[in-house]
Amino acid sequence: MTPAPKPLLLGPISPAADGALYQQIVDRITREISEGRLLPGAALPSFRQLAEALLVSLITVKRAYEELEREGIIFRRQGLGTFVAEHGHARSREAKLAAAKELLRAGFREAAETGLKPAALAALAQEILQEQKNEHQRH
Amino acid sequence: MNTNAIEIRGLIKKYSAFTLGPLNLTVPRGAIYGLIGPNGAGKTTIIDLIFGLGKNDAGRITVLGLDHRADEVALKQRAAYVSPDLNFQVWGRVGKAIHFVRDFFPDWDDAYCAELMQAFHLNASDKIATLSFGAKTKLSLLLALARRPEILILDEPTTGLDAISKQQVFSELLKAVEDGERTVLISSHGLSDIERFADHIGLLKSGNLLLEGRTDEIVDRFRLAEFFLADGTTLKHPLPAGLTLLRGNENRWLALLDQTSAAPLWLETQGAKNLTLTRLTLEDLFVALAKEKAAA
Repeated sequence: MTPAPKPLLLGPISPAADGALYQQIVDRITREISEGRLLPGAALPSFRQLAEALLVSLITVKRAYEELEREGIIFRRQGLGTFVAEHGHARSREAKLAAAKELLRAGFREAAETGLKPAALAALAQEILQEQKNEHQRH
Repeated sequence: MNTNAIEIRGLIKKYSAFTLGPLNLTVPRGAIYGLIGPNGAGKTTIIDLIFGLGKNDAGRITVLGLDHRADEVALKQRAAYVSPDLNFQVWGRVGKAIHFVRDFFPDWDDAYCAELMQAFHLNASDKIATLSFGAKTKLSLLLALARRPEILILDEPTTGLDAISKQQVFSELLKAVEDGERTVLISSHGLSDIERFADHIGLLKSGNLLLEGRTDEIVDRFRLAEFFLADGTTLKHPLPAGLTLLRGNENRWLALLDQTSAAPLWLETQGAKNLTLTRLTLEDLFVALAKEKAAA
């Protein structure tokens, strides 16, 4: 017997946060998949169920699912529902990596605007990595 | 088949101190449509006119392909209205109110009614006079939903509801429109709930519709733009459509920018530098659009 699927638990989304509501849903689901809480083949909630849980319109959920489908992270079977794709994990990691790169780029841009030279930027990156390593060891 | 649940074309209603319209408004079938505007914008006037309360001076209203005056009876059978006036005390208990209302409507659905009672935590034996405000709102919604109307019109349904009640109400509205055949029109002056729930919105101010469309497309379309001009220079007037200056000091400006217009390119030709775009909530957008209208 397969264990009962755990209910999908997504963090709150808000019109006041960065990104469109549908994009926030895409990001949350991508994270669930890349962190292994949603496995390939796992069923996603219906449009209505997710709209209800997140208090958003059906169009918003539909758009998020369409986006995830286009990225190959999930797939839909008419009449059966929506599922995490076989390669959804890898795809979502790719998506996450792309997002991380974008954040790093923005961070470097910001730092460069303060007048830091490339060598100093690299040193700064090293310093941050070291900080995180230390923090990780403490836990 | 007509895909629009409600079509309003060239509607005008004149009062001594207020004129509504000329107004065009389209509510697609299967939508949850939020009609948003401050008090006195004309929301209730529109709803009253749809249901034949008062006579419009010009224009036409079509509901499910029915003319709102010529087919008034058929329209009222297929459309339900939940008003913010919650006057059910005369019936004493919830069960009696339900019993009274159900006999008027041939499509009344007892099983659905029972389901709604459970979802809204209402009991037939509850005394209406002692129900909380939220519970009374749910009762009026139940009385409308159990009729299985094709169009449900709600006037300020979520005002005064706590977060849990809001979720219960929204969840029932979602179920009601799920098959794509039924339509919900919500009128409200509050934006934050509607921004989440409604898939279509119309923004109403002083009797005119400022903007109408899919909520996500409207939110995607506009940005708050911050930019800098060279010292001593100003933007050439008249400003293009799609650009509304909100405030500025010296060479730094904040403006509302319609990304689908020619305004972003125009700003570049005017030498605007360091342009940053920020997403707006619907509330910010409404305030900015209302300002544009006032300035025009």
